[in-house]
Amino acid sequence: MHTGLVSPKGIWWKPAHKAEKIWVAIAFAWCMVLFAMMPLWHFKGGQNPSGIRHKVTAAAYARRTQEFIRTYQVGTDAGIPVVEPPPGSDVYLQATSFSWTPVLRLRKDAEYIMHLSSLDVNHGFSLSPVNINFQVVPGYDYALRVTPNEAGEFQIVCNEFCGIGHHLMVGKIIVIDGDATASAGGGE
Amino acid sequence: MNGSFRTCPTTGLKVHAQADALIKANAVVATVALLIGGITAVLVLLTRWQAVHLLPADLFYRVLTVHGMNMLIFFILFFEMAVLYFASAVLLNSRVATPRLAWAAFGLMVLGTVMVEWTMFTGRADVLFTSYVPLRAHPAFYLGVILFAVGALIVTSIFFGTLVVAKREKTYEGSVPLVTFGAATAAIIAVITLAHGAAIYIPTFLWSIGVMHVDAQVYRLVWWGLGHSSQQINVAAMVSIWYLLGALTIGAVVVNEKVSRSAFVLYVLFISMASAHHLLVDPGMGSAWKVWNTSYAMYLAVLASMIHGFTVPAGMEVGQRLRGYAKGSFEWLRKAPWGDPGFSSLVFSVIIFGFLGGITGVTFGTEQINIIAHNTLRIPGHFHATVVGGTALAFMGVTYYVIPLIFRKQVAFFPLAKIQPYLFAGGMVVFSMAMTFVGTFGVPRRHWDITFQQAPFDVQFAPAVDLLLGIMALGGLIAALGGGIYILVTVWSVFLGKPMAEGRTA
Amino acid sequence: MPFDGVPQGIINPPGQPAAGDGPEHAKAPGTLILVFVFLAAFVVYYFVNWKLLSFLWKVG
Repeated sequence: MHTGLVSPKGIWWKPAHKAEKIWVAIAFAWCMVLFAMMPLWHFKGGQNPSGIRHKVTAAAYARRTQEFIRTYQVGTDAGIPVVEPPPGSDVYLQATSFSWTPVLRLRKDAEYIMHLSSLDVNHGFSLSPVNINFQVVPGYDYALRVTPNEAGEFQIVCNEFCGIGHHLMVGKIIVIDGDATASAGGGE
Repeated sequence: MNGSFRTCPTTGLKVHAQADALIKANAVVATVALLIGGITAVLVLLTRWQAVHLLPADLFYRVLTVHGMNMLIFFILFFEMAVLYFASAVLLNSRVATPRLAWAAFGLMVLGTVMVEWTMFTGRADVLFTSYVPLRAHPAFYLGVILFAVGALIVTSIFFGTLVVAKREKTYEGSVPLVTFGAATAAIIAVITLAHGAAIYIPTFLWSIGVMHVDAQVYRLVWWGLGHSSQQINVAAMVSIWYLLGALTIGAVVVNEKVSRSAFVLYVLFISMASAHHLLVDPGMGSAWKVWNTSYAMYLAVLASMIHGFTVPAGMEVGQRLRGYAKGSFEWLRKAPWGDPGFSSLVFSVIIFGFLGGITGVTFGTEQINIIAHNTLRIPGHFHATVVGGTALAFMGVTYYVIPLIFRKQVAFFPLAKIQPYLFAGGMVVFSMAMTFVGTFGVPRRHWDITFQQAPFDVQFAPAVDLLLGIMALGGLIAALGGGIYILVTVWSVFLGKPMAEGRTA
Repeated sequence: MPFDGVPQGIINPPGQPAAGDGPEHAKAPGTLILVFVFLAAFVVYYFVNWKLLSFLWKVG
């Protein structure tokens, strides 16, 4: 037998022996499990990054966000508008260096279509402490159907370097307990 | 001097003088980059450890950029150039194909390096290793990377040219050794990598001088074609070094050439495009694209690593058993030369790469699990295990043989050298595990201040986070000590060390 | 021993294994144990992460 430093003598295309074959078969079976879990979770699991995705210009997205804020604003928090959209509606979250706008008030167990986009550079949507993470790319609208499953106050940390004020970039989502019907339209 | 050969007294190989010189030059520059990368590592670590929080914000991101570029590009690629010359010219008793072009390529790589270092150190490139558009650096940053990549591409071509020359001039018989085969797969992946590099850095350079538009999502897509594939070069090179170190330290046998070589081929075929796992929570691509491209349905590149994870230790075990260490299941491992820093580096590299790096990486590269991992500290926790605990540690281990075999010097401070892999590996295990664990609490990577001073809202991470960051820093400092010892030992040996007695074999 | 700074693989190179032993006789039981431990760790870590994911808000 020889080491990896020397040329093998003669024909080296030889059958593997038993231990190798067993290991390769088991490892391959595991690889198939690794693959199969992904489509399976699309059917059976509740967390997928599919989303409804479109290209969008920064100007158009900013307009949509402003209109969204105008329609559903209920107050301000730390100078940022707070909005309370009805369950089932399109919710717009805008990332800029260095803020998340607006602050969202959502209801537990209600579904929303939450749009994410950036007006300038890459940002990272990281909802704390739940630990939900998505990339926010300028020029793209990433709309995710989300259903909060607990009430409380959640912060949005930016986890993609976006410049010197990166650590100042914190947003907020408030989730309230309440009427759990997912009727569209009809806020207060 | 140009055309002369020497005969290695230890291996009997005929070593071309140009191969010696090129290996030495690339190894020395790699070590300089490692030193810069190591100093910046400590600075970054002492800042992420919030209790110390050493650097201010602007310097933190600058130093982080310097750290990433020096470690992941300059240190690793210059070292890999040395590996390419070794695996071709030296292992095949051949002359280097075109030495003058090789030196020109080296010069180009050094020029590119200097340009990039200048832009980073002068604050003209605070864009981090990934330089995501629209973050903008000075045009010299992108141009420097392009020149570096062109140089590396030339060296890769010379590697292939040397293989052709060796075959034609019949400097070896039969197939190339497994180590050379592995290096060749690394070189093929390097060509694919560098092609992606050109495809992204040329347009980005043009964007930086205002000549064209670059879409942010397209940038991420193509950049990671470069970024991930470059890591696969590192894997293929590391695995080749595993076989090399196994042979040198313990006489590990190749259990089955077909199996090992096929596993290397799987790397070439299935990893170069699997960069999709960096884009699993990006808006530009759909789920079908993500699921397909992160796995190619059978995860064959992961299979390849699991195969090498078997054949490398199996080769060691079979070699030891055939020598008589056959008692029980593990006498072969207990009676192995743990005092040989090449051997201990090899074993720790295999374990850390597989258990810490591989398991976490494949898990986070799952389309949906990525949602709880993306851009948290779990990501650098993973890749410090693979690249540092895996590749860098293996490279350090092989250096202890490069010093006597190529530099023809004795290893200085050998008692220190013996413990160096233990310090480095132990430190990296603690560092990587703490970092990965802290990331599960959602702590962001690439972030200057997780107390969020002056942010509009307060973020409270779990109380364990502060403790874990301290443990992470401690592990990192121990690893840095191990890295510092490595640099001290190698630099001293090369420039001030005692020459090997000529004609010395055993 | 290499107190003079030369790794043991050079001053005391591993000799050739016993002649006549071909690959058919090569056994690696220790390695098999190690890789199974690896696989077990992998399976556990992987599925723990799916469990962690399942605690999240519904998102899709």
